Amino acid sequence: MANGDWTTWEEAGSRPQFLGPMAAPDLRAELDSLLLQLFQDLEELEAKRAALNARVEEGWLSLSKARYSMGAKSVGPLQYASLMEPQVCVCTSEAQDGLQRFWLVRASAQTPEEVGPREAALRRRKGLTRTPEPESFPALRDPLNWFGILVPHSLRQAQASFREGLQLAADMATLQIRIDWGRSQLRGLQEKLKQLEPESA
Amino acid sequence: MLEGAEFYFNVDHGYLEGLVRGCKASLLTQQDYINLVQCETLEDVKIHLQTTDYGNFLANQTNPLTVSKIDTEMRKKLCREFEYFRNHSLEPLSTFFTYMTCSYMIDNVILLMNGALQKKSVKEILVKCHPLGRFTEMEAVNIAETPSDLFNAVLVETPLAPFFQDCMSENTLDELNIELLRNKLYKSYLEAFYKFCKNHGDVTAEIMCPILEFEADRRAFIITLNSFGTELSKDDRETLYPTCGKLYPEGLRLLAQAEDFDQMKRVADHYGVYKPLFEAVGDGSGGKTLEDVFYEREVQMNVLAFNRQFHYGVFYAYTKLKEQEMRNIVWIAECISQRHRTKINSYIPIL
Repeated sequence: MANGDWTTWEEAGSRPQFLGPMAAPDLRAELDSLLLQLFQDLEELEAKRAALNARVEEGWLSLSKARYSMGAKSVGPLQYASLMEPQVCVCTSEAQDGLQRFWLVRASAQTPEEVGPREAALRRRKGLTRTPEPESFPALRDPLNWFGILVPHSLRQAQASFREGLQLAADMATLQIRIDWGRSQLRGLQEKLKQLEPESA
Repeated sequence: MLEGAEFYFNVDHGYLEGLVRGCKASLLTQQDYINLVQCETLEDVKIHLQTTDYGNFLANQTNPLTVSKIDTEMRKKLCREFEYFRNHSLEPLSTFFTYMTCSYMIDNVILLMNGALQKKSVKEILVKCHPLGRFTEMEAVNIAETPSDLFNAVLVETPLAPFFQDCMSENTLDELNIELLRNKLYKSYLEAFYKFCKNHGDVTAEIMCPILEFEADRRAFIITLNSFGTELSKDDRETLYPTCGKLYPEGLRLLAQAEDFDQMKRVADHYGVYKPLFEAVGDGSGGKTLEDVFYEREVQMNVLAFNRQFHYGVFYAYTKLKEQEMRNIVWIAECISQRHRTKINSYIPIL
């Protein structure tokens, strides 16, 4: 296949190509396998979506249970600062097939260059300590401790539910990208097949 | 039998006892709870509550109605009733009422200090403070940096001052120290309240002392349960246990060494009152939690307090039962607003 004349991948796909007498069955097989993969991904996405909904619902109910034991005003917006540092960040990377993947990264695994401003931010947050932090990687505080040290079990359960939900959300974003890519591939292959059919008929 | 409360209690406190019994009769019944559970939205809950003693307490609330607003208005209503009782009381009932408000004051102080840690404005927190625990020096709490500061500058004139003896230290108030301060203050308060009731004697001591003993033991169990897996050391934990309960002293010593729920259960098995409570705890997510079992027992004891006359325990019992009712309504409202109705029947019926 001489692709050197086309300037872009889209152009290459849109011009009719002479693919030879055996191209159609290969193309159909590829189409089938792509379709199967797409359906598998869709099923996985639906399952993950249902799981995410369940985790988020559980998390909110556990928060209500915590409010039942601790008092309705003890688990609410009064307990956390309006500005906070995230504990978990989303990173993207390119896999071999050119698709983006989303990773969750815990904030403690950061490079040394970022210590300077982060230390100052932590010092501001602590506010009351007067000695500077000696270590260069101060541990980030667990958000559970915003509500006190002796928190009921339901609050820990809520934290666990929301953490699982986070992981699911990242997986769902990756799957969504794969599905979109799969659909565009499918459309491309179907176009090619259509162009091939009138020739072989 | 010849201590004589029957002879002179009504002179000073008869009117208030009659009033509180009337208030107790207007607590929500089982039928009211059944109606509430069937509501689809919070507006329905508001309509159903209008037919009860709550009346139009939500009439001035703007849309949308939230669970937090319902809770705030219920608290205000309880506070109005309580203030009425308090304003019409004579000694020693007035001191009894002051003791009752101290627990809410402690909660407010801790709320204000946590808010200071999170850099919240004082006005924002004052709105959410419990109205029963209001005191004039509240706005100044957030400037204190150590417990000694807090005592000397702010709380020395309040009823909380005598509870500070074990809490004085120069450590700065971070989350761990605030938690320790909260529990130590509460421990001193409970022990002082217990002593007051015991010294008063008569029917009041017969009713209030078992209730306060249960409260002390319950706190010891819950502190132990919540401290598993945290940075709180066993010695620190032992200093937080109130000593006016049945568990003192051997039970508390054993409890301080417990490392998981089963060891805690073995300590409870030594006491006839607590063994059946721990056996009622379901395992996993299906059954009741330990806290639920304790709440049920508390409701039982408070309802029984109304079977005797001529004592101050009816006021304490009424306030606690009203709080349980508020917890029930907030739980039902949360289940309705989250559309998660599987556990909506986990409230504790009172009457």
